[in-house]
Amino acid sequence: MDTSAFNSVWWIFALPVFGFLWQCLAGKIVIDNLGDKLGKRIMGASAVLPIAAAFFIAVDLTGKLHSMPAESRSVVLTLFDWINIQSLHVPFEFRVDALSMMMVLIITGIGSLIHLYATGYMAEEKDYPRFFTYLNLFVAAMLVLVLGNNLVLTFIGWEGVGLCSYLLIGFWYKDVANSKAANKAFIVNRIGDFGFTIGMFLLIAQVTLDRNIIGITDPRWLSFDVLLPHADVLFKINPEITTMAALALFVGAMGKSAQFPLYLWLPDAMAGPTPVSALIHAATMVTSGVFLLNRMSPVFAAAPQAGAVIAIIGAATSLLGALIAFGQTDIKKVLAFSTVSQLGYMFIGCGVGAYWAGMFHVTTHAFFKALLFLGAGAVIHAMAHDQDMRNYGGLWKFLKITGATMLVGWAAIAGFPYLSGFFSKEEILGAAVNSDTVLHLGGYMWSTGQVAGWIGFVVAFLTAAYMTRMTLLTFFSGEGRWKTIAAGHGHDHDHEHGHHDAHAHAHHHEDPHGFFYSDAEMHARAVAEPHEHHHALDSHHVPKEVPPSMWMPLAVLAVLSLVGGAWLKYGVNLEHWLYPGAEAAEHAERVSHPMLLGISFTVFLAGVGFGFWKYAKGLPADEGWDLSLWKRWRTSAGRQFGIDAALTDGSLKGGAMLGAFLAGIDKWLIDGVVNASGRVAELAGGLLSRTQRGYVRGYALLMQAGVVALIFYVIYQLSHLGAGN
Amino acid sequence: MNGGFGILSLTIAVPAVGALLLALVPDAYTKAIKGLAIFLAAATFVVSLTVLSVFKGQSYHLQLVEQMNWLPQLGVSYKVGIDGISVWLFLLTTLLTLLSAIFSVYIEKRVKTYFVLMLLLEAAMLGVFVSLDLVLFYTFFEFTLIPMAMLVWIWGGAQRNYAAAKFFLYTFLASIFMLLGIIALANRYADVMPGHEFTFDLVKIQNAVASGVLWKGAGVLQPVLFWAFSLAFLVKCPMFPFHTWLPDAHTEAPTAGSMILAGVLLKMGTYGFLRIVMPLFPEATQQNMWIMLTLAVVGIIYGAIVAAVQPDVKKLVAYSSVAHMGFVMYGIFSLTHTGMVGGAYQQLNHGISTGALFLLIGLLYERIHTREFKAMGGLKAQMPVYAALFLIVMLSSVGLPGLNGFIGEFMAMAGGFQAAYQAGWAGLYLFAGLGVVLAAVYLLWMFQKVFYGKITNESLKGLKDLKPWEVGLVGVFVLFIFWGGIMPNTFLKPTEAAINATRQMVRNRPGARPVWGDLTYEVNEKGDLIRVDQRSDVGSYSGERIVLTNDYYLMEQPKAPMVAMGGGR
Repeated sequence: MDTSAFNSVWWIFALPVFGFLWQCLAGKIVIDNLGDKLGKRIMGASAVLPIAAAFFIAVDLTGKLHSMPAESRSVVLTLFDWINIQSLHVPFEFRVDALSMMMVLIITGIGSLIHLYATGYMAEEKDYPRFFTYLNLFVAAMLVLVLGNNLVLTFIGWEGVGLCSYLLIGFWYKDVANSKAANKAFIVNRIGDFGFTIGMFLLIAQVTLDRNIIGITDPRWLSFDVLLPHADVLFKINPEITTMAALALFVGAMGKSAQFPLYLWLPDAMAGPTPVSALIHAATMVTSGVFLLNRMSPVFAAAPQAGAVIAIIGAATSLLGALIAFGQTDIKKVLAFSTVSQLGYMFIGCGVGAYWAGMFHVTTHAFFKALLFLGAGAVIHAMAHDQDMRNYGGLWKFLKITGATMLVGWAAIAGFPYLSGFFSKEEILGAAVNSDTVLHLGGYMWSTGQVAGWIGFVVAFLTAAYMTRMTLLTFFSGEGRWKTIAAGHGHDHDHEHGHHDAHAHAHHHEDPHGFFYSDAEMHARAVAEPHEHHHALDSHHVPKEVPPSMWMPLAVLAVLSLVGGAWLKYGVNLEHWLYPGAEAAEHAERVSHPMLLGISFTVFLAGVGFGFWKYAKGLPADEGWDLSLWKRWRTSAGRQFGIDAALTDGSLKGGAMLGAFLAGIDKWLIDGVVNASGRVAELAGGLLSRTQRGYVRGYALLMQAGVVALIFYVIYQLSHLGAGN
Repeated sequence: MNGGFGILSLTIAVPAVGALLLALVPDAYTKAIKGLAIFLAAATFVVSLTVLSVFKGQSYHLQLVEQMNWLPQLGVSYKVGIDGISVWLFLLTTLLTLLSAIFSVYIEKRVKTYFVLMLLLEAAMLGVFVSLDLVLFYTFFEFTLIPMAMLVWIWGGAQRNYAAAKFFLYTFLASIFMLLGIIALANRYADVMPGHEFTFDLVKIQNAVASGVLWKGAGVLQPVLFWAFSLAFLVKCPMFPFHTWLPDAHTEAPTAGSMILAGVLLKMGTYGFLRIVMPLFPEATQQNMWIMLTLAVVGIIYGAIVAAVQPDVKKLVAYSSVAHMGFVMYGIFSLTHTGMVGGAYQQLNHGISTGALFLLIGLLYERIHTREFKAMGGLKAQMPVYAALFLIVMLSSVGLPGLNGFIGEFMAMAGGFQAAYQAGWAGLYLFAGLGVVLAAVYLLWMFQKVFYGKITNESLKGLKDLKPWEVGLVGVFVLFIFWGGIMPNTFLKPTEAAINATRQMVRNRPGARPVWGDLTYEVNEKGDLIRVDQRSDVGSYSGERIVLTNDYYLMEQPKAPMVAMGGGR
């Protein structure tokens, strides 16, 4: 097949890479030479443009794909041989198909909007190019993740996005708390990646052992187009191992997509700048687990037991996330737990076999959650980087555009009928309550699919309620509470605005190599350092609407949140587009479509109604600054029901104890034996030689004598041993 | 055996003779000494590069072989040669020595002695990687100890006496067993072979092993000798529980010493397994592979956990070496194609990434004269370029995909998992894989301690970023980190045939094993040994790419190679 029409896919990948190189190599030079304002404008524009260009190429490619017959909509392009040895052939190859292009459109489309937003949001940042270096690199890595045509290449992207996430969470590195959050994200993700590799290795081991039975002849047997058509054969040969492989891959997905119990890193990841939260920790990277399940869906489809587990874990995560969201006062934390909860939905969909519905929710969630995060960023920007909703209230008066777009986001996520979130959620829950997904465990059959679906409806109620809480507390519910701000309230700051300590430096020793700045240079550096004025939120604060570079992306995302769901469902016919072969197998519906609609409406109204009843009047006293008035369950939800403390602190303390213990073993036992034998030899050496002149001499004498004797003895013995036969 | 005669000896001779020349320069001319030493190291590197131009990666045979009598009455000869397993280690040695010599311009104390020892060390290390005679191998192997111990002893830190003595004695004592093994092996050979020739020639002995003559009815002799050699190499690697000399030696050694110690010296251990233990003790290797794999996995986990609680940067990296060398062992003792190629490749990657880490630590140490974490912090704002380079090197050590560390670890683990899965021990992998998680734990922690947060130590506030030439020096490592991760085939391809042959030397039954000495055979696309009719020169193999399709076909080998020597007595 002639694939040259799709060669431009390399540009989709190359553009962000060039952007990354340009930012990292030229950024500082440009800004230093052209001045802060012009330099930042140039670097900002050159960060957005490659991503936007990649988006348009992706649109073009998707169009080409659309014009092809449904069964051949999958093109593999190879750039070069990456690993090629006799037993393992892994080319650097991309796969252009409906699934990958859908992700590419989300990544580059929403990515370029968020890049644009970030040019405004980060405008006062000193390390402006460093931010876009990481952000462009992230886009490149994410594209490898979704476009890669084999598991190893997917894994490059998989860990690459993890790295960028790590770098961006710790972007304001002067605050050690941020870098700790970054470490936590990377390490928890690595635990997931460990699962990913187990899954990969299980597949590798199975394929290498049973290649003839499976019937794979292509040496590129890790490539999706070679491996996946044989997934059902794999399962027939060895069902347990295939199920294990599927579950192990799901552990990888749990790490990236923040599923219980590996969700721990995502709330802490909010330490990063808000555009990062929107792009990486809401719209794209965290959904890569769902993408993986879709990509590997033949394997998962062949292992239904794995699906049953996935559905119930997804349901548990979505319930947990929604409950915890009620205990949060930090606007970004509310959204973070909401993301955890929504990701749970996507896994319910994948678990019950409605993979396309999972992807549907990935897309609509990318619209409205990016919108909500960027809106929250605008609010934070307008509120002097205060993130506590208890200080907000009545912001509608000041932030009309932000408020209006965020209202759209609220409606979409809460399940307002016929907005984007409504459709995708309904598809997932409908598939779940009608599914036959059962888990065989302990001699019983557990209908985890149906249970997950019903839990999903409960979560839909909770979602509508906590989102109403967030929206009312921020934009409505009385006058601005910051006007009554009292001293002593703890504020979380998005920025590190630490004072620059007096540049006293205490090196008065000699410096022959010129390692240190001279006093004059030190002074020049201190002058050049911009002293950022930190304006804390106080009672005289007047919130201002954000600049156009920031509200324009909000507007676009708001439109998508409004109509995106309907368009994807009716305009694109997403199910058919993603999975053309699998026409909806009409099975007996336990819960009919009109009934589902009815439940969805009811749940939405109940959730919103509850929210209005509780929060329309203002901040309730039992959620205010005085934590002692909080109800117990809410305090406990605020603390994530102790899960985070138990797991994180437990592993940190346990790890430190184990480390100290093993280090002790190393020092006193393993090395102790070595030193003791050394000392014995030393003593013996001392006796033999009657000299005490240095350790080495003693050792050497003993050794010479001993070794020579030993050599002769052993040679003598061995020569007879061998000759014996 | 023509074809580029003398390149290997020349490469050894340049630093060896150069060291003597250097010794003639008066002590006072320190600049001239430094310049000359760097020139000699550079010359050695350039000469070693010419090996690549004549090296044939498609063949598993030893190439560029040179032989002359040394002590003919004892059967000892000077015989050197190179194959796919040693060629990259050979080049790694010359490259790392050059880079550490350049760093060593910071040395102030007894400059001449320092560089003389360094060049001697280089010559000895090069000798180890090309020796084809067991006595010659042993001589070079032991000779590396003296200059290395001296480097620790004279230029080391506060505990240098202890560290140097421990390093010397520990590794020396372990090697004694190897010496005994060598002599016993030669005895055995003379006993069982027709003609009763007494020889230490690796090629000849391997021939006798491959045909099954040497070990026929040898009883426990093979396992005994296997462990005699293995002990020396296990200590050298170092594998748990023989590793405790390493943290001490690393902490006390000067920067260049640590770079070479971690980068090259440790590889002599794993190289010994590939070059000597596996070809010569095939049955014992198969019997004991699970012990080795278990040790490797324990080392991976143990090294990583202990690394995580070290207060000293160098100690942390030293323990991480224990873990990383565990991956090498895990790969090569999996006895699968993927695993062994990955393990062999991981040797290079560890040399590059750990060498670079020690270099970076050394650059900082020259400035602030401490390696304690508590004296550091917040350096990212002060030295952004240094931080960026450190980040890349650290990520290579973490095994980030796209960088060199990943390829080796991935392949080693994939191979190890295949072996473990097949034997029903798949759980073993679970623990090895944990090492990758733990690597992230301690390395990220290290990075945080050094670079993040505010500067707490006043004396760090005046620090300038790296000088351009220092950036260039680290840049060479960074180049290889990316190259090795993005285009690993450059390094994997030339290694493959030799690794495949080594694996078959272990896996195949006697009589069906590849033989170094028989040049009419090569490994073909299916991994079978085939006769090659047209062979113009040693190692030039005119067939197609050697491709093996399935690892497991090879255990039952249909064709037997022509074996030069007959059966037992």
